[in-house]
Amino acid sequence: MTISLGESRLKSTPKILLCLAGLAVFALLPWTMGVYNQHVLIVCLFYTMMAASWNLLAGYTGQVSFGHAAFAGIGAYVSGILVVKAGLNPWGGVVIGTLCAAAFGFLVGLLCLRMGGIYLSLTTLGFSEILHIVINNEYEITRGTMGLQVPGLIENYSKIAYFYIFLAGALITLAVVYRLVHSNAGLNFRAVQNDERAASALGVDVVRTRLLAFTVSSALAGMAGALYGHYMLLITPHLPSLDQQFLVLSMTVIGGLGSFVGPVIGAFSLEILSEYIRAWGEYHVLVFGLVALFVARFAPKGIVGIYKAWRGKYRAATA
Amino acid sequence: MELIKGVGITKHFGGVKALSGVDFKVEQGTIVGLIGPNGAGKTTLFNIVAGAFPPTSGTVHFEGVDITGLPAYKICRRGVARTFQVTRPFGEMSCVENVAVGVVNHQPDASRAVWTQRAVECLRIVGLEGFESTEARHLNVVQKKKLEIARALATGPKLLMLDEVLGGLNSQEIQDAITFIRNLRDQLGLTILWIEHVMGAIMQATEKVIVLDQGRILMNGSPEEVVNDSRVIHAYLGD
Repeated sequence: MTISLGESRLKSTPKILLCLAGLAVFALLPWTMGVYNQHVLIVCLFYTMMAASWNLLAGYTGQVSFGHAAFAGIGAYVSGILVVKAGLNPWGGVVIGTLCAAAFGFLVGLLCLRMGGIYLSLTTLGFSEILHIVINNEYEITRGTMGLQVPGLIENYSKIAYFYIFLAGALITLAVVYRLVHSNAGLNFRAVQNDERAASALGVDVVRTRLLAFTVSSALAGMAGALYGHYMLLITPHLPSLDQQFLVLSMTVIGGLGSFVGPVIGAFSLEILSEYIRAWGEYHVLVFGLVALFVARFAPKGIVGIYKAWRGKYRAATA
Repeated sequence: MELIKGVGITKHFGGVKALSGVDFKVEQGTIVGLIGPNGAGKTTLFNIVAGAFPPTSGTVHFEGVDITGLPAYKICRRGVARTFQVTRPFGEMSCVENVAVGVVNHQPDASRAVWTQRAVECLRIVGLEGFESTEARHLNVVQKKKLEIARALATGPKLLMLDEVLGGLNSQEIQDAITFIRNLRDQLGLTILWIEHVMGAIMQATEKVIVLDQGRILMNGSPEEVVNDSRVIHAYLGD
């Protein structure tokens, strides 16, 4: 019997090769499809970044923040405004936007240190709404609901180039999350989620652990938002909205809260599904919310949990 | 040499005086019992020593260094480990992960293999081998108490503080536990401060007993002195 800490890691060479092969096939995918499907893939990668980074906070440390879309908004608007008003290079804008989101994440995390559960959720919800209102009303700076037109990251607009940029962003996000949850910080995250007092009695610096999760998660959301803004070429208050927040939440919960691949599965399946039911308008968020509610109640570990349970039964039956 | 020493420890919760001017010390390498009727302030004293909350006044010195009011994780890293009276396992984590939390914060620079190996070893010491991959919420009460001790050992303590680890055990299990706790001192060289209601165990296992009553030290001395003292009998049984 093998004894392992945390989730299984990629140890065996065949598994790593399989992953690399899958990634290579995926990286070639946009060459085989039209512009519309390329766009869908790019948006899938954006939501992968959002869901994976929200999962780091909500799934691994139990801090169910409703401010994740707001941090993406901070990344997008900071970068967009600096590029438009100060003439900064868009790549520099992305970096500064990411850092700003990290700084705000740190401060909100500090504010929420003594909170857990519903109180933390409500505080971050309030933060998100405040930001939303400020963006809507500071028309001179943000252009309000009209949206802020920003330049792209590359001179000659090409979906394929953006696909690779977003693929790199998603891989960076997943690598950061993987590295964190498979280090001693990952054990501390889960210990803090389970029982803060017991964790601190075992030498876990609870304050540092919670702030680390909040800051890193917000920074990753900021990066995703900034990239998204420079891809769409228009930043609107819809990016830091609760609609987006609940979409990311649904993706993570349905895919598998607290598992590494869950958010990726959730992001791709829900984004692709929502393209098919686009005719329903904004009702798809409502539908996803209801599905997420059912999943949270009846299969709290999402699609990944259902798969693992099924595989466990299959193995037991064949053993 | 005294490993830990408290002077004038006082704790008020609003108007309730949980502890008033408690002085105590524990010599290196001894097993000291901390007894007293319900509500005497035993667990409050534990919480102050372990840094769960600061005292209203008074000081705690560990190895001659003032640790009063330090946060729990810093006190733990200096070598003070405690168990909880009502066990607090990380329910969603496996037993080996539960213990590994203590290991990684004690030896943050060690490799993953070392963490796992040390965690498995701690589980073996308390007799939980075979449960490495079991989620802690599936353990029974006695196993959860063992897990508490394994986690505490994983932090590499010099002082181990046990809070009623014998509750819910039958007499054979109590005998085994006494042998086990004495072995922790004799073989691992730990100093042990032990809150316990099972008087037989205190009589057998400890060298010194501190008696708390209504937030004050009633007396301290050898187990024989304590059980024969009329003030102690009075505190427990009343008039």
